[in-house]
Amino acid sequence: MEIKVVENVMKFNDEFAHQNRERLKRAGVACVDIIGSPGSGKTTLLEVALERLRPGVRVGVIAGDIATTRDAERLAGKCAQVTQINTGGSCHLDANQVRLGMDELDLGALDLLIIENVGNLICPVGFDLGQDAKVGLFSVPEGDDKPAKHPRIVLEADLLVLTKTDLEPYVPFDRAAFERDLRSIRGDAPVLVTSATTGEGIDAWCEWLRGVAKGRAAPVNAGGAG
Amino acid sequence: MHEAAVTQALVEQVRAALPERARLEVCRIEVGELEHLDGEVMGSIWRAMTAGTDLAGALLEIERIALRVRCGACAGEFVPEDKAILVCPACGAVRPEVLAGSGITLRSLEVEEGG
Repeated sequence: MEIKVVENVMKFNDEFAHQNRERLKRAGVACVDIIGSPGSGKTTLLEVALERLRPGVRVGVIAGDIATTRDAERLAGKCAQVTQINTGGSCHLDANQVRLGMDELDLGALDLLIIENVGNLICPVGFDLGQDAKVGLFSVPEGDDKPAKHPRIVLEADLLVLTKTDLEPYVPFDRAAFERDLRSIRGDAPVLVTSATTGEGIDAWCEWLRGVAKGRAAPVNAGGAG
Repeated sequence: MHEAAVTQALVEQVRAALPERARLEVCRIEVGELEHLDGEVMGSIWRAMTAGTDLAGALLEIERIALRVRCGACAGEFVPEDKAILVCPACGAVRPEVLAGSGITLRSLEVEEGG
C-alpha cells in the first residue's frame, strides 16, 4: 500500500528558521547570512565594515566554524556583541544552532545581526536561518570559475561580493570570464567588487549593510562587476 | 556533506508518518537538481541509520527533479541543459525564476500492513 505524504524534508530546519525570523522581527533586528568558501575573506570583510558601522548601527555577530573561537576573538571589540558557534564537524549552520546563538545575545540592544556561516559555498546555501538577506562571497584567488560551479548561491543571494581584488595582478583571474559566467546565471545579480586591503567597494558594502539594518536592502550597481 | 543532517530529518519524518504496525518497504523522495545532495551518499546514510531498527531493509528511492525555470522577461518556460547557463532560449534575457528543481520532498511511503 502506498501512503502519500508530500512533506518538505527541510521542515526540521525551516520551522526553527521561521521562529528565528519572528523573534528577530519582534526585536527589530535585521539579519544577514554571509556565505563563502574557507579563506574567501568573510571575517575580514566583516572586520572592515564593523569599525565603520559603529556607533550608528549596533551589530551582533554569530560566527560559525567547525572549531576554534578565533573568529569571535577577531571580531570582539569591533562590534556590540559576538558569539561563536562550533559545529563540531558539520559543514553548515542550521536554524536551530542560530536560535541557540541568539540566546547568547541581547537582541534588544542590536540593530543588525550578522551570521558568518561555516566556510563553505555549498552546504549552507540550502539552510534558511531566518535571515533577511543572504550574501555570497567569491574571492579573486579562488578563481573566476566559481560562479559557474555554484549557480545556486548566484540565484539566491541578495548580494554577491567579489573580494580581494588587490590580488588580481598576481593570480590567474579573468574578470571578464567571471562576469560572463555570473551573468549567464542571473543577468541582474547584484554584485559588489571589493578589496579590504585597498578599501575598494567598502563604502558601498557598509552602505548596503546600513540599508539592510534599516529594513531596506539598497539596490546595488546592477551593472555588476565591470 | 550535509546528507547526514537531511537523512536524519527524513528518518524522523518517516517514523512520524508511518502507521502503527505497518512495515516500511520503500520511501520515495524527490530531490531538486539545485540541492547539493549526493543520492548515493544519502542511500548509504539511510541504510546505516535504519539498520537494526524498525525501518531496516526499507529502500530509499530518490527521484531527481530537473531544474525548470520561467524567464522573468518573456515568461517563457524552459529546462536548461546546463544549470549554470540560464539564458532564455526564446528572448535571450537572463532573469530566471526557479519553477522546479529546488527542495527536498518526502513524496510517499510504500508499506506492508502488519497484522
